[in-house]
Formats: sequence, structure tokens, C-alpha cells
Amino acid sequence: MAVEPALIVNALLNGIFEGLLYALVALGLALIFGVMDIINFAHGDFVMLGTYFTYIVATALLVDPTLTAFITAPLFFILGIAIYKAVIEPILGAEPLIQIAVTVGLLMILRNTALAIFHAEPRGVPFTFFNVPLRIGPITIVLSRVVAGAISLVLLIIIHLLLTKTTWGIAVRATADDREAAQLMGINIRKVYSVTFGLGIALTAIAATLIMTFSRADPYVGLLYGLLSWVIVAMGGLGGVMGVLWSGLIIGVIESLGMTLVSAGARELFIYLTFLIIIWLRPRGLFGRR
Amino acid sequence: MRLMDRKTILWLIVVALIFSSMPAALGFNMYYVYLAAQIVLMAIMVLAWNIIGGYAGQLDLAATAYLGTGGAVTGLLLTFYGITPWIGMPLGALAAIGLAILVGYPTFRFGIKEVWYALLTASLVVIVQRVFWLIYGSTEIYLPYYEWSWYYLRFGRYEPLYYILVIILLFVLWVNIVIKRSRLGYYLAAIREDELAAEALGIDVRKYKLYALLIYAAILGFVGGIQVSLTSIVTYRMFDPWLAIVVAVVGLIGGLGSIPGVLVAAVVLRTIEEYLRSTLGAVIPGLYLLIYGLLIVIVGVLKPEGIGGFIESLKRRLRRGGT
Amino acid sequence: MSKVILKVRGVVKRFGGLIAVNKVTFDVHEGEILGLIGPNGAGKTTLFNCITGVYKPEGGRIYFMDEDITGLPPHKIISKGIARTWQKVRPFKKLTVLEAVTVGALLRYRDVEKAREKASEVLEFIGIPKQDFNRLGSEITLIEHKLVDLGRALATEPKLLLLDEVVAGLRPHEMERLAKVLLRIRDELGITLIVVEHVMRFVMNLSERIIVMHEGRKIAEGSPEQVANDPKVIEAYLGTKLV
Repeated sequence: MAVEPALIVNALLNGIFEGLLYALVALGLALIFGVMDIINFAHGDFVMLGTYFTYIVATALLVDPTLTAFITAPLFFILGIAIYKAVIEPILGAEPLIQIAVTVGLLMILRNTALAIFHAEPRGVPFTFFNVPLRIGPITIVLSRVVAGAISLVLLIIIHLLLTKTTWGIAVRATADDREAAQLMGINIRKVYSVTFGLGIALTAIAATLIMTFSRADPYVGLLYGLLSWVIVAMGGLGGVMGVLWSGLIIGVIESLGMTLVSAGARELFIYLTFLIIIWLRPRGLFGRR
Repeated sequence: MRLMDRKTILWLIVVALIFSSMPAALGFNMYYVYLAAQIVLMAIMVLAWNIIGGYAGQLDLAATAYLGTGGAVTGLLLTFYGITPWIGMPLGALAAIGLAILVGYPTFRFGIKEVWYALLTASLVVIVQRVFWLIYGSTEIYLPYYEWSWYYLRFGRYEPLYYILVIILLFVLWVNIVIKRSRLGYYLAAIREDELAAEALGIDVRKYKLYALLIYAAILGFVGGIQVSLTSIVTYRMFDPWLAIVVAVVGLIGGLGSIPGVLVAAVVLRTIEEYLRSTLGAVIPGLYLLIYGLLIVIVGVLKPEGIGGFIESLKRRLRRGGT
Repeated sequence: MSKVILKVRGVVKRFGGLIAVNKVTFDVHEGEILGLIGPNGAGKTTLFNCITGVYKPEGGRIYFMDEDITGLPPHKIISKGIARTWQKVRPFKKLTVLEAVTVGALLRYRDVEKAREKASEVLEFIGIPKQDFNRLGSEITLIEHKLVDLGRALATEPKLLLLDEVVAGLRPHEMERLAKVLLRIRDELGITLIVVEHVMRFVMNLSERIIVMHEGRKIAEGSPEQVANDPKVIEAYLGTKLV
């Protein structure tokens, strides 16, 4: 079966924009894992929660989902801090097994709450501004994906600048590098942790609003986004924002090409297999600061 | 070494008696006996998980990959080739072991642990499920019906399968106890505590983790054959990632490594789950999972040692109170 | 001179561009107590880890009982007869003292009952009272940790025992207690000791021979008195009192 080059370029472009969005989704996780060494299994389901919040706000106010971010992001920031104080802080020093278990529990709570309230049918927003296809020659790409990718890129750059140029950012990185030393220098670790966690969760809300411009909310999407985030973090999360960006792009392109060249049903299989291989082949030194 | 001291044998007899009397206690009602069988199955799964999770300390989320593999082998061999499960189940166990070696050997060799191990095993179930789905789609393959066949392990009632499960449960309990007191058990405990220190004492960490994984996979692969006979169908749903997570969660609530804790947790939680499913399940889907989630968060934050830890501190208090 | 049981020949260990151990060569004789000292960053612990299999050296070879053990993994090293203790205590928190030492004993005694007996003997030898056998790793004090660590290593019946800053964090009377135990280990069990240490008094008094490392190289070797008066050594420490 001969594949037209146009199809491949199409897949590539889609993959790039998709990848930027994935990078944004993973960014929150990279921040939280990088700074606090906390293994948040529930990350993908915060994204899922975000999509439902977006659905509610967008339906209530009849606006484009992207605008709902102005409401959902601050809300999720507060939610993040609340969850940090209630659940995360107590288990910071616990065995990794317990940390994983507790966040798995969190995942189960989030997912099944969504299931209980919204049932299994996917919910879409009433309308989106950018749901128009762009045609450049033989290549077609939906504008909303381009916008989502662009906004993701902007946010990634903003966070990168925040982390490298501001005092707060330096405090966060210092804490990530060496918690004790940071404490000795007078950095309030608890504050850094809670703010970072809140920010990480807020980022999932923003990513969720972008997702809602071209997709629908359903309770099961958490697993996929969670796994995607972990794959991206596994690949390059410790290389800072840039690492996340590149990994996201690679994953997005692999997934897109896989879908086009093989089959849509194999999409998830591709990602999970890639994940397996990445975990196996990654050199030990890059596995985290434990 | 007295692996089977009087106290242990006594406990096993008590457990055997309690479980054996259940069908009669439930009035031989088909529905209840089926549920009881599911409960015993859960106990078996969590006790098997205890070996890799509780003893070796690896958060394995792939239980249903092995359970389903065994079930698929047994079920398909029976349905399409008429091969008795008495051969099918050991083959299912072997298939599960094969899968475990295929995945486990490189995993342990590369030193994958903690979160990455959990994620890897979670991916494994989904991969196996997808592969099955790509071959068979969503078809439900029905096992042949026999009124009362010990040869094909197919019955018109659930009691025979129930008792087979009870025997397997006793066996798995015995395996847990034997391991705990054996060299393997000590080594796994050391690995769980501190891999580096364990290695410095001569323990080939990778080898022993793999042993634990293989025993766990073999048990699940074997009992998968019974599960498939219980449900009478082979489908991709046998590789349920959620059930695998639930098994691990129950194992954690039971308290890592605590045999009584794990047994109690499995029975109690599965019973509650069934109750919730039958009363609220239609109205609020996923409620029991939500409750599981809440439980694990509460246990993890407040009492990470789980039910087992609770039992241990009770024991200690009784011991000290006696003097 | 008695038999040489450990031969370290030109061992090199690099971390990226940094050379932590730079062609170090020395012998260890059976039954001796050898001290390994040097300022911070001298490469003592790195060399230690090369011998015990935690690191694989980039160059050189290590021979134990005339067998090449270079690059073997830790669990094989110990089965050859080289045991180690840890600088930062690594207790088995949820195991009892007896169980922890039993883990060590299981290397040579595959039967659990016999291993437990051996563990009991070892604990008695070290001087841990029977009533402490069932205390959990999470319940014991620092000096007890060190002793249990020693016990775990002894239970593997080593011929050579490497101690990594074993007295760090101990009070003087606890150091004395440990020194006495170590002497008994050498005198009564015939085990050779290599003591990597920062606390000068302890290592100078205990060792019969000292090797000094500085910036990855061996810069001096001899009796404690010779080494204490060696100008190269004094210069390396620059002002640190040696006694």
C-alpha cells in the first residue's frame, strides 16, 4: 500500500501540534515529580476532571472553551493546594509504594466521581470558535488544533521563563535539586511544594480547556493522558521544560504516524509499547533523584 | 524447620471449615454460591499478589494480565480443541510464567522499580488486552456446557468450582506461609527493605524478584482457568486493568506481607463491593471503586500498615499486656 | 610477611571527566588491620565501592585470594568472602535484629533454622544481649545499628571485612566498644580488616598499617607513626591534627 507523501506530512503536522499539547499536559506532572519526587498516578484524571469543569462552565456561559480557562485554572490552583494539604503532605516521607497507592486511590475517586455524576457518555462543549479546517494545498488541519498547540507552546515558554528568570522559579529549582540545602538557605519548602502542586494542577486545567476545543469529556480518558504524561516525563522530564517539550513532540509525532500508517485501533497499543520500551532502555542515571 | 507447626495447621483447618461451610450456610442458592466463589477467587488473587507486592515490595498492577492469559489458554483449548482444563490449567500457568519471564527478566535486569514498575505493569495489562482484542475483537467465546463433568470442569451448578477454589485458597495460603518462613521469604523481605544492603549480603536481587514474580504469575495463570469456567466465557474483558489495580489496592489495605490481614481485606472488601454493586450499582456506576479509592487514601494517609499492621499492634499489645 | 589476600593493581575509576581513583596499587595481608585514610574527596569510598562491586573500575584489576574479582557484582563479591558495612546506616526497619543477621547467615547456611542459630552466635559474639534479638530495626539506637550491620556482615563468614566510616556519629565510649569488637573479630575469627575512616584517633590506634589517599592517588603507606610524620600526608591534610 503506497502512502502519499501528503498523508505523511499531514500526520507529521498533526503530530507536532498534538505533541505540543501533550507537552503541556505532562508539564504539570514534570513539575510536581521533579520538585517533590511525588508519584502522582492521578495526574491524567485531573485532566479528565478539567475537561468536565470546562464542559460545565462553557455550557453555562456559552463561551469558547479556551476562555473558560480564566475560571477553571484559578479554581484548579486552589483545588491543587487543597489536595496537597489534605493528601500529599502527609505522605511526602512515606514509602514509594504508599505514595503510589494513595494517588491511585485519588485516581479512583476522581474517575468514579465523574462516572457517577456524568455517566459514561462523552460530553462536548456547545461550540468552539476555531473548529474550522485549514487547507494548505493537500494538507488539512483543524484550526483548533493549531491554536491549542500554539497556546501550549506559549505556556511552555512562560513556565520556562518563570523557572529560570524569576526568584520564585529559582527557589523551586533549588528545592528540586537539594531540599535540605534549600531549607538551609531559608526557602520555605512547604510553600514551594504547595504552590508547585497547585500550579501543576492548574496547568492540567488549562490543557483540559484546550483539549475540549476539539474533543469531548469522558471519564475514561484519564488513563491515556496519565500514561502519556508519564511517558513524556520518563523521556525528558528531567531536562526541564525543554525536555518536556521535545518529548511531547516526539510522542505526538509517533502517535500520529502510527495512527496513519497502521490503524486507529493500534493507537493506544503504540503508546503503551513505546512506553514499555522507553522505560526499559532508559539509562539508570536519568531515572529521578531518588 | 517446622514450617507447619500446630498453630498454623489449626488456623488452616479453621479457614477450611469456615469456607467449606459457606455453600450450606447460603442455602445452596446459585447466585450466592457464585458470589462466594468470586470472593474466594479475590482472596486467591490478593494472596498471590502478596508474594510480589507484600513480600518483594513491587507494586505490580498486572495481575489480570496473568489471570487472563491462563484463562484464555484454558478456555480456548477447551472450547476449540476439547482439551480438559486439567491439562489446560497447568498450561495456562506455564503461559503466564512465560509472559512473566518475558516482561520480568528485562524489567528487573534494568533495575526498574517503584513508580516505573507500577506504570510498566499497568501498561502490560492494557497491551495484553489490546493484543487479545486485535485477534478476537469483542467476541465472547462461550465455553461448552456440561451438566456435570469433572473431566471438563463444567457443571450446571457452582458448588464444585467453589470447593476447588477453596482448595486452591488453602494451597495459596500454605505457599504464603512457607515462603514467609523460608530463605526466599527472608531474602524478599531484605530486598523490600533495602535492595543495596540486600545485595551486599549476597542476595541476587534480580533473581529473587523474578522468582516472586513467577510464583505469583503461575498461581494466577492456573486459577484463571477456574475463573473462566465460572464465568463461562472468554473475552477481552478478562484482562481488566481495573481489577488488577483493585487487587493491588486490597493487598495494600490488607497490609503488605500480612497473611491474615490480606485474607480479611480480600473477603471483607469483595463482599462490600458486591453489596454495593447489587444495591447501588445500577444507580451509581463505579461507586464501589470510588469507595475503594477513598479507603486506600485513608489507609495510606492514616495507617499505611493496613489491616495487617492493626493486627500486629494488637498482638504486641496482648503480648506485653500478658507480662 | 603473611599471605597477601587482596591485590589492588592500578585501579582507575572515572565519573565523567573526573578521575576519582587514579591508578591505586596496594596489597592487603591476611590477618592484618589496614587503615585507609585521606582528606575529603580523596577517593577512599570510591575505591571501597570498586572493591565491593558497587562500581566497575575503568582500569586496573583487583585480585582476592589470587582470583580476579574486578567488576563482579556485589552479591558475587560477598560470596567470594569480602563483606562490607555501610557508612550511612542501612537498617532493615521492619525486621528484628535477629532476622536481619539471619539474612546474612543465609548466604552460607541455606536452612533457616541453622541460619538463625548462626545469627544468634554472631550477635552474642558482638555483644548484643539476647533480650534485644526481637527488637525491630526501627527501634534500635545508632551504635546498635552499627553492631547489627557488623553482625549481618559477619554472618556471611567473610575472610575480609571492609568498614566504611564505621564510627561516624558515635560517642567516644561507643567507639571504644566497637574497637574492642573489631579486634576480637581479627584475633578470634582471623578476619582481615580494612578500615576506611575519618576519625583519626580511632583508625590510628586500631590499624597496624595505614594507606593514605589524596585526590585519587595513594600518597603514603606505612605504620601509623611513619604516616603521621610523612610531610606529604601532613601537607594533604593541611593543618588537620593527626592525633
